[in-house]
Amino acid sequence: MDMTLNAFTLYILTGLQLGSIFVLIALGLTLIFGTLGVVNFAHGALYLIAIYLAVSINNALGFGLALILVPPILFVFGVLMERGLIQRFYDREHTDQILVTFGLAIVLQELLKWVFGANNIPFAIPSWGNGILMLHDYLPFLEGFVVYPKWRLILVVVSIVTVAAVFALLHLTRFGLVIRAGMRDAEMMQFLGVNINRRFMIVFGLGSMIAGIAGVFGGPVTQVSPEVGMHLLVPSFLVVVIGGMGSLGGAVIAGILIGMAQSFTAPYINLNTVIIYLITVVILLVRPRGLLGAKGVFE
Amino acid sequence: MHNQQSFWQLNKAVVLFALVALTMPLWFPLINGYSGLDTKIMIFCIFLVGFDILLGFTGYLSFGHAAFFGIAAYSTGLMLKNFSDNIIPAIIVAVIAATLVAIVIGLLTLKRTGIYFSILTLAFAEMFHSMAMAMLQTWTGGENGLTGMPTPMLFDIKMQGSAVFYFTAIMAIILFYVAKRIERSPVGLMMKAIKCNQTRLEYTGINARKYKLLAFVISAMYAAVAGALMVVYEPFVGHEFLGWHQSGEVVIMSVIGGVGTLVGPMIGAAFMLYFENVLSVDLGEQWLLVLGLIFMFVVIFMPGGFMEAVDRIKKRFITTADSE
Repeated sequence: MDMTLNAFTLYILTGLQLGSIFVLIALGLTLIFGTLGVVNFAHGALYLIAIYLAVSINNALGFGLALILVPPILFVFGVLMERGLIQRFYDREHTDQILVTFGLAIVLQELLKWVFGANNIPFAIPSWGNGILMLHDYLPFLEGFVVYPKWRLILVVVSIVTVAAVFALLHLTRFGLVIRAGMRDAEMMQFLGVNINRRFMIVFGLGSMIAGIAGVFGGPVTQVSPEVGMHLLVPSFLVVVIGGMGSLGGAVIAGILIGMAQSFTAPYINLNTVIIYLITVVILLVRPRGLLGAKGVFE
Repeated sequence: MHNQQSFWQLNKAVVLFALVALTMPLWFPLINGYSGLDTKIMIFCIFLVGFDILLGFTGYLSFGHAAFFGIAAYSTGLMLKNFSDNIIPAIIVAVIAATLVAIVIGLLTLKRTGIYFSILTLAFAEMFHSMAMAMLQTWTGGENGLTGMPTPMLFDIKMQGSAVFYFTAIMAIILFYVAKRIERSPVGLMMKAIKCNQTRLEYTGINARKYKLLAFVISAMYAAVAGALMVVYEPFVGHEFLGWHQSGEVVIMSVIGGVGTLVGPMIGAAFMLYFENVLSVDLGEQWLLVLGLIFMFVVIFMPGGFMEAVDRIKKRFITTADSE
């Protein structure tokens, strides 16, 4: 393939940026699935709430407040959702869990459409994140004049920091230890006297909060309209399947993989529309449990 | 005498459905239903009966049946436009096309548990949707949809107005009868055993995947007939036919009506279409919100849907009658 180093760098960056949003959505999905065993069809709607909150607060009070307020609000919303709704469905069939989260997704989407209208709402990027970055100033191997939108790079950095924070929480803290043990065998944790349900509630809040972070930084990139939630949910589901259901590492790798695949196929419009499905098909044929999926989990 | 009675017992539902369906043009306008909506209700009865063979019998929840509905609709449209205005070859080709796609998707998605199945059917349907919007645009018309079909003909009969309605209603009655036959056949029993306890079924040495695939493909064929009839009813194919809204609509209809009862989902379809087109006049844009709330209420408090409500009322009525 005839591709200059400049073009290659840009494709890589775009791949990372596309992957970043997938990773953030899929991380919450797979975290909730891994701990609670619930496939949350309303996760796209959580992102939707986040972008509408973020754009409203941003346009009225500034980006700083949006950043401070939206993730905690989403955390609380996630906890309430788990306590009020999801909790009732732990003993029901998976089909019922999917149905009720799907119903919630419709209700939330229609509510937001009612309040904010069906059209895209412009999301003004704060001045410090606006404009372009002169990549050739930082990367000496680039020839000539190479630029990239600053905000999209910020999105990548935010995504990396969030992923690192989640991994640190799960692997370096006692709370994380209990959660990881609960992912393996929740019943045994109950026998050991650990109130795993309370912690699962927090995990749901956490997954929701990650969607909140994704919304604050992703809103200007994905646009703010009622259809965005479902449009993001489908590739994010595929990221979870490709990475292995319930695997956080898998979600990160698969998210970046999908982002890269979309970025590098951009010049070939036909391939571009189907590439993520092709990858999914290959994974399903070659390694049905996903890249890092544990053996025996929902096989 | 005995045989006659058992024929009535076995086919009571089909006969009742036939009566209700064929007299629909007489009573439907009385409840403000406009002509044309009755045809659409019949089309979705076909879609929903087939969907219940999958969801109701095997318990596998597909979020991608719009794919078969849409593929059949596009095939029918293209056949009518380029081959012949006779609907018979068009419907046959449409069903074959959707069946082939269903076999491939079924083989890929039924490898693992129902969770994967729900996610992946949704994803593959979205793939066809984005293909129709982009790479196949010259065939599908992309955003604008497929238009310019001639008036569909059933040999010498113009398929318009009541001709479409009766054709569709008769198809619905036949296909409902077929579904009833499948339900009480050994194959239907196997499908229901999958929902009950798949692991146990497999331990008895039965290849559950074969029956899952069969249920999936049969339900896709019903969806295809519905999709084809949709184009006969109104010679237009929009990309929405393939979208997740369409798949979701079918799921909502099933659940509101009562999964696994065959009749329930048809009632769900009639209710939702009636709600969407007649009752929604007062609700305006918010009809889907109200419907979503009804749907959630049913899932949370009345998982058996409308049919469960009927059962509960019946039981209460019978017990009070007994105590008196």
